[in-house]
Amino acid sequence: MADRDALQFADVNRDVLRSLVETGNQYYVTLTIAVTITLACFFFPWFYQLYYGMGAAGINQPAVWGTYLASFIFWIGLSHSGTLLSCVLHLTNSAWRKAMYRSAEAMTLFSLMVAATMVMVHVGRPWFIHWAAPYPNQMEMWPNFRSPLLFDVMAIATYLTGSSIFIYMGTIPDFAAVRDRTTGWRHHMYVLLSLGWRGTDTQWHRLGWAYTFLAVLIIPLAVSVHSIVSWDFAMSIVPGLHQTIFAPYFVVGAIYSGTAGIVTVMFVLRKYMNFGQYITELHFDNLGKLLLVLSLIWTYINAIELFTGWYSGTSTEYEQLKYKLFGLYAPLYWEMILFCAVAPLLLISQRFRTSFVPMLLLSIVVNIGMYTERFLIIATTMSRQYLPNSWGVYIPSPVEISIMVGSLAMFVSLFMVFVKIFPSLSIYEVKETMEEPGADAAEGGAAEWRTQ
Amino acid sequence: MANSVGLFRGPKAALAAAVQLKDAGFATPELLSPIPIHGVEEALGEKKSVIKRFTFFGAVTGGISGFLLAAVTSVMYLHPVGGRPIITIPPFLIITYELTIMFGILATVLGFFISSRLPAIRERVYVPEAAVDRFAVAVTCDSDESRQRAESILRDAGAEEVRQVTEEL
Repeated sequence: MADRDALQFADVNRDVLRSLVETGNQYYVTLTIAVTITLACFFFPWFYQLYYGMGAAGINQPAVWGTYLASFIFWIGLSHSGTLLSCVLHLTNSAWRKAMYRSAEAMTLFSLMVAATMVMVHVGRPWFIHWAAPYPNQMEMWPNFRSPLLFDVMAIATYLTGSSIFIYMGTIPDFAAVRDRTTGWRHHMYVLLSLGWRGTDTQWHRLGWAYTFLAVLIIPLAVSVHSIVSWDFAMSIVPGLHQTIFAPYFVVGAIYSGTAGIVTVMFVLRKYMNFGQYITELHFDNLGKLLLVLSLIWTYINAIELFTGWYSGTSTEYEQLKYKLFGLYAPLYWEMILFCAVAPLLLISQRFRTSFVPMLLLSIVVNIGMYTERFLIIATTMSRQYLPNSWGVYIPSPVEISIMVGSLAMFVSLFMVFVKIFPSLSIYEVKETMEEPGADAAEGGAAEWRTQ
Repeated sequence: MANSVGLFRGPKAALAAAVQLKDAGFATPELLSPIPIHGVEEALGEKKSVIKRFTFFGAVTGGISGFLLAAVTSVMYLHPVGGRPIITIPPFLIITYELTIMFGILATVLGFFISSRLPAIRERVYVPEAAVDRFAVAVTCDSDESRQRAESILRDAGAEEVRQVTEEL
């Protein structure tokens, strides 16, 4: 922390600018690998599936949903913490938000994009995806607005719009700061992106209000998005899915995995962008506390889910529970409990929370557990519905597994491009947390004349 | 139009200089700063923004159009199911809710752009240092005499540097 106190305003500009324009070979190598994996593991199998049909994927009767949807929920979930956490911390005036929120919001944006792509993969005939949009057409058909799938289209479109606007608006002053110091094509790009921001008192006033309004609008939106995703499942009458607890269960799970995702991203930024002075133990400590609370809530809801299933007393729910806890997928279930309910208890120790590498490992473990959770929600319920003659087993095909891996690479590639265009640290808000310059100057402070 | 701009090290000094200029009869000076300055409104007069109106009416429009979208399209393409109502309130409320927020957000952005005059079409007073660590006070001067007066006020208030910036129309 001693280093941080010595920081001047100009240092922040310098450090952030450096992160944008100084690019090492390591970056290009990693980006190339990520893009190659995206093409080879995501787009190639997808085209294969489009060409040969949905039979390339392992989904079939009775398990018509599979890892595509599990990945969809996972990415939507990961998107939850960024903007939501940023909005909540903005409204509660938390100073520690300021060094990390930009990258957290970027995480939101890109995981939403990946999630939307997963839907395209899942629907099988993505060239008809525009049928989900309400537009007048020659068939005089309109989408069925009573379907949770349509709620989803609306919610995700709104969330994508809202979070991209939120991240862009918060970055305008930083684009302006970067604009003044860059040359060439970068300068032209930032001139356009900054829209001619000058940082006048009036502009700051307007930005403050608009930003707060957006935060207020986005918080309920984010909660609604994952509730709606949960209704895609909970509104079906499949045992194990048809539960009222699903909306809060999904929202908590989403924030949980998203917060773990933020920890991962913060670690990477800190290490590879040299933001060690800005992203400190304090951030990891606070994120760790948040993770701990979320893991406890998540565990509670999981227990309640089991309890309601048991308490319902119906044979289908019993069968579902038995299958989940002791059936084919049981090892995955207990892995999830170990990773998401037991392992995070380590966060009780402050020493653990402020150690960077253990936090990184834990955050990855939590997200593996959360992916498993989403997989189990689909796999265990789809393959055991009502009568035994409609039971089956779902095992992902190589195409599905490859696309799952490829979606991660796609997220990494998008994020890597982002950190070179957007200042991944909010310049002006980090400055706000620092000591005001000229505070000790003997020029007669504002407080003096106000009392005169 | 000629503007005198004084650069200060800290926000308090800049704000004090702006108040002195205003008291000396100049038009309300503009403050350019790397971070939002606290207490500007108390010192230079309250600022009113139209953004909240944009947000409100945007959200209301969104709500109405969301409900109408769901209701009107289901009336236009009738598909009765088991004698149940055509306009079903609970599911349509969700569409209403999402579009309320969508339009609210878009209107807020519009309001922000309009009220803060962005994107900037013509060049205005700007000092690049104000995006780094200097707090600038810009005041419009209509004559040489008033420019000298403004500059002396800025210097007396502790400006590190005073420069002239001309706005191009």
